[in-house]
Amino acid sequence: MNSGERECPLERARQALRTVIDPELGYNIVDLGLIYDVGIDDAGMAYVLMTTTTRGCPATSYLQEGARESIAQLPGIADVDVVVTHDPEWSPQMMTPEARRYLGIEEESIR
Amino acid sequence: MSYFAAALVALLAAESLMVAGWGFPSAPIRAPATLLLVHLVVLGWLSLLLCGALFQFVPVLIARPLHSATLPLPALILLLGGLAALLTGFLGLNGAVAMALPLLPMAGTMLASGFSLVLWNLGRTLWAARPLGWPAKFVAVGLLGLAATVAIGIIFALVLAGTTTAPAALRIYACGLPIHIVAGLGGWLTLTAMGVSYRLLAMFMLAPELDRPGTRVVLQSGAWALGVAVLGGTTAVLANHGTAPVFVVAGVLGLVTVILYARDIAHLYRARKRRVIELNSRMAAAAVGSLLLAALLIVVLGSMGALARHAGAVVFLVAFGWLSGLGLAKLYKIVPFLTWLECYGPVLGKAPTPRVQDLVAEQHARKWFGLYFIAAWAATAALFLDSAWAFRVAAAMLLVGTAGIVLQLVRARRLDDVPASVRFPAGSMRPPLILSSTRPH
Repeated sequence: MNSGERECPLERARQALRTVIDPELGYNIVDLGLIYDVGIDDAGMAYVLMTTTTRGCPATSYLQEGARESIAQLPGIADVDVVVTHDPEWSPQMMTPEARRYLGIEEESIR
Repeated sequence: MSYFAAALVALLAAESLMVAGWGFPSAPIRAPATLLLVHLVVLGWLSLLLCGALFQFVPVLIARPLHSATLPLPALILLLGGLAALLTGFLGLNGAVAMALPLLPMAGTMLASGFSLVLWNLGRTLWAARPLGWPAKFVAVGLLGLAATVAIGIIFALVLAGTTTAPAALRIYACGLPIHIVAGLGGWLTLTAMGVSYRLLAMFMLAPELDRPGTRVVLQSGAWALGVAVLGGTTAVLANHGTAPVFVVAGVLGLVTVILYARDIAHLYRARKRRVIELNSRMAAAAVGSLLLAALLIVVLGSMGALARHAGAVVFLVAFGWLSGLGLAKLYKIVPFLTWLECYGPVLGKAPTPRVQDLVAEQHARKWFGLYFIAAWAATAALFLDSAWAFRVAAAMLLVGTAGIVLQLVRARRLDDVPASVRFPAGSMRPPLILSSTRPH
């Protein structure tokens, strides 16, 4: 499989993860910077490394399961493994400019 | 959610009694009617609210699950049974009901058992998570305050019921009321609320977690204030010495605690990343302002030698401006959040879901919160002016404000304010009004 073919399922996986929102911030977990890594191997095994906005977040298990469900429904995916980490801790710097604007976070305040 | 529902019923009942002219200031501060009203507020409303909140948020503070998910229910049953026995027991003291049963000792036993289950569950949870962060340490000290409050309360109940006539118990009954109040309002309710607020405000406003020397001093001075008041006060009472010097020292330490806490919270608001903050965070600021005002009043009244005469007004401001105000503000976040987890958590990733903020209609809730705080401050002013009539008018405003807030909480729970197009994605269902269940983190 060349790199172009490999990129497509990964982008689809990222798009699927965008259907999952952090309930408190009300924005998708990809643009909030909560997804640290996504990988899919040739056998269709998907792997997601993600975090939550705060350690001990009450929504952790729901977000983990939501991320798993969103990718599991994609064609060609055999199974999904979602791992939650707090290393490194999430910070607002990890958000995309769009997410920051949505939350009314001023650019200079996060530098 | 059962804790919160029971707590809100107790608050509405207590405010209705105030409107009806039951208890202080229409009756003396030590009258059975006042005792009933005060315990309906501090046990029925504030303590149940805080227990329910701690069962949800101690796991968030320490990022570990609760020691036991099953103990909160028997604890609630014991606490409600104990509260009912206590209130009926006070009515018996009033002569309003015949005392066929030893209600006060029964109340003491049930409340002690219920709070012991709470202490055991939260204590074991915290113990397993050592070393604790700052917010959790506040909760740990607050739980010690709860243990002290309950212990002194049991002695009061046994003396009032005539079960014991031990000289030490009689002395504590005669002179220990300030210790009971300081341990309960200052130690258990205030220190715990401070600890939880540090973390919740930082979480909801995207502010950096506080870990600065000032925060350490808040905890240390708060813990010392509680220790001096409870241990020093009890020793002074048992030794037949005056308690005034002990309370002056505890008061100065308490004042340092409140001022540095308010400074920390102001820093959190300034350092927040979310410029537009939600109603619950704005109303929490009004509650912290009430605490600061109460501290300033204690200093001014103390220096004028008028603190004892106006103690009722200051205690009211602490209970309704600070603790209840903060409690209602945070419920306006906790109830929608838990409801979201129950209804939309299971369908996350399978269907589009609304935000937690879509479960509330702030434009409607704002006026009820505004009325609530204005009424709490007006009622405090009425107590300063010794006007029972003005107090009842302010209490009526307080009741209307609270009922409005409760209605908004019910609407959030019933998903009434969620746009119909996204209210029930496939696989979701409306959660029950009172019972709730969410997955462990």
